[in-house]
Amino acid sequence: MADMRDGSALVEIRDLHKSYGPNIQVLKGLNIQMMPGERVVVIGPSGGGKSTLLRVVMGLEQIQGGSVRFGGKPYISAKGDKTVIDTELRKQIGMVFQHYTLFPHLSIMENLILAPRKVHGESRASARERGQKILERFGLGAKADAYPSQLSGGQKQRVAIARALMLDPKLMLFDEVTSALDPELVAEVEAVILQLAESGMPMMMVTHDMWFARNVASRVIFCAGGVVVEDGPPEQVLGDPREERTREFINRVFHIKA
Amino acid sequence: MDYTLDLGAVTRNMGPLMDGLWVTLQLTLAANAIGVIAGFALALLTTSKLAVLRLPAMLFVEFFRCTPAIVQIVWFFYCVPMIFNVFWGPVFMGIVALGLNLTAFNAEAYRASIQAVPREHLDAGIALGLSPTQRVLNIVLPQALRNSVPVLLTNGIGIFQQSALVAIVGVADLMYQGKTLATATYRPIETFTVVALIYLAISYPVGQFVNWLERRQSYS
Amino acid sequence: MGMTLDFSILLLFTDALALGLWTTLRLTLLCIVLGTTLGFVIGLLRSSGNAVVRGLLGLYVELFRGTPVLIQLFWIFFCLPLILGVEFSNFVSATIALTLYMGAITSETFRASLRSVGREQMDACVALGLPRRAQIVNVILPQAVLRAVPTLLSNAVSLFKESALVSAVGMADLMFIGQNISNNTARPVEVLTVVAAIYFVIAFPLTRAVTVVEQKLLRKFSA
Ligand SMILES: Nc1ncnc2c1ncn2[C@@H]1O[C@H](COP(=O)(O)OP(=O)(O)OP(=O)(O)O)[C@@H](O)[C@H]1O
Ligand SMILES: [Mg+2]
Repeated sequence: MADMRDGSALVEIRDLHKSYGPNIQVLKGLNIQMMPGERVVVIGPSGGGKSTLLRVVMGLEQIQGGSVRFGGKPYISAKGDKTVIDTELRKQIGMVFQHYTLFPHLSIMENLILAPRKVHGESRASARERGQKILERFGLGAKADAYPSQLSGGQKQRVAIARALMLDPKLMLFDEVTSALDPELVAEVEAVILQLAESGMPMMMVTHDMWFARNVASRVIFCAGGVVVEDGPPEQVLGDPREERTREFINRVFHIKA
Repeated sequence: MDYTLDLGAVTRNMGPLMDGLWVTLQLTLAANAIGVIAGFALALLTTSKLAVLRLPAMLFVEFFRCTPAIVQIVWFFYCVPMIFNVFWGPVFMGIVALGLNLTAFNAEAYRASIQAVPREHLDAGIALGLSPTQRVLNIVLPQALRNSVPVLLTNGIGIFQQSALVAIVGVADLMYQGKTLATATYRPIETFTVVALIYLAISYPVGQFVNWLERRQSYS
Repeated sequence: MGMTLDFSILLLFTDALALGLWTTLRLTLLCIVLGTTLGFVIGLLRSSGNAVVRGLLGLYVELFRGTPVLIQLFWIFFCLPLILGVEFSNFVSATIALTLYMGAITSETFRASLRSVGREQMDACVALGLPRRAQIVNVILPQAVLRAVPTLLSNAVSLFKESALVSAVGMADLMFIGQNISNNTARPVEVLTVVAAIYFVIAFPLTRAVTVVEQKLLRKFSA
């Protein structure tokens, strides 16, 4: 399907193989093509390799086979038992994790400006100014000098998103960013992501929140057993799946929750 | 250096060193027996709700934790006979002094692991209708004991090393025999090195075992 | 018990005890500073460094952690001068011995705290594209050092207590002077109790401080 648009894809994952140690094969020949402007939500059974997929795209994992292209250029590839990662391309991708991962010894503002200063050599003043703007946009304007431990989970997660945005990423990855939050804090984080989605930020995310998936996704991919089982627009994959395995999964997880 | 090594001076005199080692091991094992048992009782006292039990117990623990072991031992050897008018053999005195010290440190270890038992487990015990005694015996005790094993072992090796202090008050342990031999043979380098290696040969494997145990526990 | 206690006898020796305490404190502080610095360097080298360096340093650490401090003191006092062919003053020998001991135990503290900086923190660094130097200097080391503080404090208290051992090699610290007074006055109960109390008065608040600092840091790192 998307093969005819080769070269214009933002992310192109080909025949991706990933295992942890000799015995745990997680991804077994996975293919995904993501177009610019797309918002891909990855769903699938627990342990199916969704986080692993995002971590590979972030350049955090060694791979055993296949390749990833980013913005039309070779980004990650398996060469023998080595993984070659283009670290310049990696800088164009941002990621937010399930467990905040703010730097606890730095204030919120320092968390935000560390990477722009060290990666792009931006001046402290200019980085602070941009940081303050992003914080204000996310309703955190007053928290610049607070420390992570003084924030609620929802606030921390919004800071984590702001921190990633400081580098003007061309792609954002979100791995279950609301699943560690108390229910009443989920909405504020989802609102920030929706805001980003509206501004046209390409994103790939894993979530178990099917309502949110339907709202944010332009495309849904169902992953199981280390391969893509079904791939299509949200109404179709979530509403009327073609594959039996997808249907089963949706029935079990989605309709009960919805 | 104008000093030629002569290990023979030590190897010819292994007899006294082995006698000393035997005393050191006796001190260590007996002090550990005291510390493991009395330490637990003391830990229960320090977590007691009654201040008359808790405060003296805490004072005991803090005294031993916050003064040098050598001060404790010298104090014990000089003052106990005077105050209580008892005259025990030196090895026995050493055992009691080291045992009391270890009791205090082990009580701390037990207390920490008693407090580390999650509140939810106790709540679950209440929800299951267990009596307070049953909760202590079936929920707190097994977890606390299991969690404190690595620290108890670490403290145990600690007291093995601290036992060398009794040499200062004349107990004929490994350290004492080493010191005597070094002086008698004018061979301090050989003697002290061999004595140090004997201590190491015993502490190191136990230390490695503790590391292994801790790694295993943190995985489960 | 049939004996009367007379603590007033100690008033005659306040100067001597103060002098001993001063020696104890000077020695302890010096060895804390030197030993912690040594421990930091060794901790880093053992966490990175090449295999030979790691092996040799591991040997040093295990040697000092696995043997009684008393024998370390004897060794440095009586063997080191023979080997090097130079005489050291008591203070220098004691400083060498206790610094080496402190270096060994604090290097383990630093190593553990380096390990305790979670893998997620490294992941976040990579996701932010931070260069290796910034990962270490701005993220890993500050957290590792902060996390090490409570244990370093209790290492320091331990050193303060272990320093009393230098009395056994004839250095005139608090313990040594206390024992001398006790022997000369034949009043061990009063004198040794007061000596113990002096150590206690210094060590106790410090151990409390360890607990307070620990809880503060725990709260900070619960993020
Ligand atoms: N670092 C690791 N070492 C070994 N095995 C791992 C590691 N990380 C993940 N795995 C294993 O790989 C498999 C896929 O894990 P992954 O976290 O990608 O699943 P997931 O789809 O994100 O699941 P969940 O919905 O529970 O988050 C699981 O079986 C997991 O146990
Ligand atoms: Mg996951």
